[in-house]
Amino acid sequence: MSAYEDLRAAADAVWAPIARPQRPLFVVSLNTSSIAGGATHTFDALRKLGEGAGFDVMLTGDTGIAWAEPVVQVQKPDGQRILYGHVTGDRADAFAQAALAGVAADFAVGVVAGPPVAGVPMLADLPWMKIQVRWMMEHCGVIDPENIDHYIALDGYKTFEEARAMERDQLIEVIKGSTLRGHSGSFFSTGTKWGFLKDAKAEPKYLVCNADEGDPGAWVNRVVMESDPHRLLEGMLIGAYATGAAYGWIYIRDEYPLAIERVRTAIDQARARGILGEDALGSGVRFDAEVVRGAGSYVCGDETGLIASVNDGRGMPKIKPPFPAQSGVLDRPTNVNNVETYADVTTLLKLGAATYSSVGSEANRGTKMFTVSGDVARGGCLEVPFGTKVRDLLAAAGGIAHGRALKAMQQGGPLSGMLPAEVALDLPLEPEPFRPLGAGMGGGGIVFVDDRACVVDLNLMFAHFLEDESCARCTTCRIGNQRMVEIFARTSRGEGEANDPDRLQSLAASFQNSNCFHGQLSPTIMNNTMQHFRAEYGAHVLEHRCPAKVCAPLVRYRVIDQGRAVDDAAKICPVEAFEKHGGKWQIDDVRCIRCNACKDVAPDDIVIEDRYVDAIPLRMIESAEVARAGGVRA
Amino acid sequence: MTVDNEATLEIQHLLRDFRPQDGDLLGALHAVQHRYGYIPRIAFRVVARQLRLSEAKVYGAATFYSEFRLTPSPATLVGWCSGPACRLKGSEGVRRMLESRLGITFGENTGDNKLGLHFAQCNGTCEYAPQVWVNGEVVGPLTAASTSDLVQKLKDEA
Ligand SMILES: Cc1cc2nc3c(=O)[nH]c(=O)nc-3n(C[C@H](O)[C@H](O)[C@H](O)COP(=O)(O)O)c2cc1C
Ligand code: FES
Repeated sequence: MSAYEDLRAAADAVWAPIARPQRPLFVVSLNTSSIAGGATHTFDALRKLGEGAGFDVMLTGDTGIAWAEPVVQVQKPDGQRILYGHVTGDRADAFAQAALAGVAADFAVGVVAGPPVAGVPMLADLPWMKIQVRWMMEHCGVIDPENIDHYIALDGYKTFEEARAMERDQLIEVIKGSTLRGHSGSFFSTGTKWGFLKDAKAEPKYLVCNADEGDPGAWVNRVVMESDPHRLLEGMLIGAYATGAAYGWIYIRDEYPLAIERVRTAIDQARARGILGEDALGSGVRFDAEVVRGAGSYVCGDETGLIASVNDGRGMPKIKPPFPAQSGVLDRPTNVNNVETYADVTTLLKLGAATYSSVGSEANRGTKMFTVSGDVARGGCLEVPFGTKVRDLLAAAGGIAHGRALKAMQQGGPLSGMLPAEVALDLPLEPEPFRPLGAGMGGGGIVFVDDRACVVDLNLMFAHFLEDESCARCTTCRIGNQRMVEIFARTSRGEGEANDPDRLQSLAASFQNSNCFHGQLSPTIMNNTMQHFRAEYGAHVLEHRCPAKVCAPLVRYRVIDQGRAVDDAAKICPVEAFEKHGGKWQIDDVRCIRCNACKDVAPDDIVIEDRYVDAIPLRMIESAEVARAGGVRA
Repeated sequence: MTVDNEATLEIQHLLRDFRPQDGDLLGALHAVQHRYGYIPRIAFRVVARQLRLSEAKVYGAATFYSEFRLTPSPATLVGWCSGPACRLKGSEGVRRMLESRLGITFGENTGDNKLGLHFAQCNGTCEYAPQVWVNGEVVGPLTAASTSDLVQKLKDEA
C-alpha cells in the first residue's frame, strides 16, 4: 500500500462511526460566531447529558448559518439528520430530550437527510441553502476540523496525490487554464502567479497564506480555517509541489485565536502523518509551514505589508518592484495567496475543470464565499456561483431585517466602496461590473445598510478606520485621511463648508500618489457616496440637519410624554441630563451625550428630533458644542 | 536590579526557541505579552539580543500594532467593536455609555486599574452587533441601556 492508502485506511476507520453512528450523534458547531452565541455551554451541557442519555457529541466548525447559532446537527442511526438552531446551553436539556424522542420542532432549522418531517423544511430547500453551491464549504459543519482523519476520509490529500502525478508545468497550466483568480479581491490569475514563483531563480522559495482578513464585516477566511483547515494546507502543499516552495507562512490576524489554534493543530497533525515535512506522502515534496500571529494592523493584509511584518516587525507596505516572487519573506522568492484561493485550488483540482466550470459567469467560473452582515435578516457565510446577483444573495439572507428598505451596500471592506440600493441590487457578484462604478467587489464581506443609516456617519467611521490604519509612510495617505476625517467630522456637526466637496475631490486626486492601495483606494467610499448621496450631504451642510437623525451633534432628545418609563429613563442617564421642571421631566440638551439609553427604556415617551430647526449661525453651534464637550468630560 | 535580572532571565527562557533571521519578531513579542499581559520595557532589550536586532527596531515593531500593550493590562479589558454592523446597530451609543460611566476612553484604565477600554476591530461575530468583548468574550447585542447594566456588573465584580 502507498503511504496515502495507509493513511486513508486508518482514517476510514475513524470516520465510519460518524458516517453511520450506532447511537444518536449530536454535532455541535464550535466556531467564533457560535461561541459568541454561547455554543461552548451547549457543547459542555450536551456532553454531560450524553453520558447518561446514551448519545455521542462531536464538534464541527461553521455551517455558515450564523443567524441560528448555536447550531447542532443530530444524526440518528437510521440515517435521519436534522439541523437545529438557537440551542443555547440553558435549553440543551429540553432540546436533547425532544431530539432523542423524535424531532425537537422548536429548534428545527431543516432536515439534512432522511425522510421529510412534517412542519420542518428540507434544509436544501431553504432559500439560504438553495442559492449556494457549497464546494469550498463542503466540509463546513460536517467534519471535526481538529481531526485530520475526518478530512482524509473524505478524500482529503488525495487531490495532492493526483496533482503530483502531473508535471509541474502541466499542473500550473491547469490552474492557469481555469478562471481561478485571487479570492482576496485582487483577482490576479493564481496560475500565473505560481508560474512566477516556479520560474524564480533564488532558493529557498516560500509560500505565504494571507489570513489577515482585516476588512470589517468579512469572515470568509475564518470560516475556512475554523471548519476545514486542511483544505487550505492541501492547497499550499499543491502549491509547494508546483512552485518548488520549501516552506509556508500562514499569517493569521490576532482577532482570530480559534482559527490560529485550529490551523496550528492541523499543521501538527499533518506533520505527524508525514504529509508536511521532509517527504510529503513519499512524493519527494519537502514542505512545512507555520502560523504567524498578526497583532492588529490592517495594512499587514497588503502582501508587501505582510511580508514586511514577518521580516522586520513593522508591517509597512513597500513599493513594488521588487515583487514578492522576486524578493519576499527573508528576501526570498515568495508567493502570497489568500486563504480562500488556496482552498479553491484544492477545490478546482478535486472537482476537475469541467465540473468547476459548470457554474459561475462567463468570465468567472466557479464559486466565491461571502459573509453578509449589517441590517440583513440573516447574517452568515454563503458560497455562491460567481455572477450571482446581489438581489438574490440578499433575498437568500431573508432580505433587510424588519421589512425595512435597503439603502446601500458596503462591500469588500473600506477600500472597495459603498453603492446605493438602486445600483447595487442588480450587480452580479464578480469583479468586472464594479470597476466602472468606481468600486471593487473585494474579498467577500458584504454589509447591507438600511434606510435608518446616515452616509455622513458611515463615511466618518470609515475615514477614522483608514486614518488609524494608515502606515503613515506616504504623506498623501497619512494627511489625506486626517483631512478626510476632519471634513466628515465637521459635516456631521453641521459645520461643513461650502467648498468641502471641492476639497474632497482634490484629496481624492492626491491620494493617487500614495505608494500602496491603502492610500490609493482610501477615497473610494467617499467618492461613491458623494456621487450617489449628494442630497444627504447637502442637508448636513446647508440645513444643519441629519435626515437619518444619526449624527449626534445635529439631533436632540426630547421627552414628549411623561409616562412612567421616563422615571427609569432619568435614572439610566449616565450624565444626569434629566431635570424635573414643574413636575415634568426635561432633558438638558447641553449635558445630553446622545447615548440613547433613555430611549431604550422609554421608547414611546422620548423622541429624537432635529436640533436646529432653522439654519442658525455656525458660531452658536460651536459654542453649544464646546459646552457639550465640557458636559461630557465633567 | 535583581528584579530586573530575574525578569531578564525569565524572558530569555521564554524566547529560547526564537531565532534571528527567521520571521520570529512578532512571535517573540506575542510570547512576552502572553506571559505578562503586556510588553514590559525590559523585554525590548532581551528580544533584541535574542533576535540580533536593535532595540529601536523591536520597539518600533511593538508600537506599530494595536494589540501590543506597553502598559500593564487592567484586570478586565472591555474591547469595543468599531465595525460597520455594530455601527449600524447603535455602537456609538454603547461607546458613549461606556465612556461616560467609566470616565475613561480608549487606551485608558480606571484609576484602580480594574477596568480598561480598548478600541477593537470586527471579528465577524456581527450577528451579535452591537457588541463588546469582555476579556475576549463577546457580549451582545447590546443597547446603551443594557451597556449601563453591564458596566454596573463589571464594577461590582471588579
Ligand atoms: C490595505 C490592504 C489590505 C489588504 N488586506 C488583505 C487581506 O486581509 N487578506 C488578503 O488576502 N489580501 C489582502 N490584500 C491584498 C493582498 O495585497 C494580496 O493581493 C493578496 O493577498 C493576494 O492574494 P490572492 O492572489 O489570493 O488574491 C490587501 C491589500 C491592501 C492594499
Ligand atoms: S461589526 Fe462589530 S462584530 Fe462585526
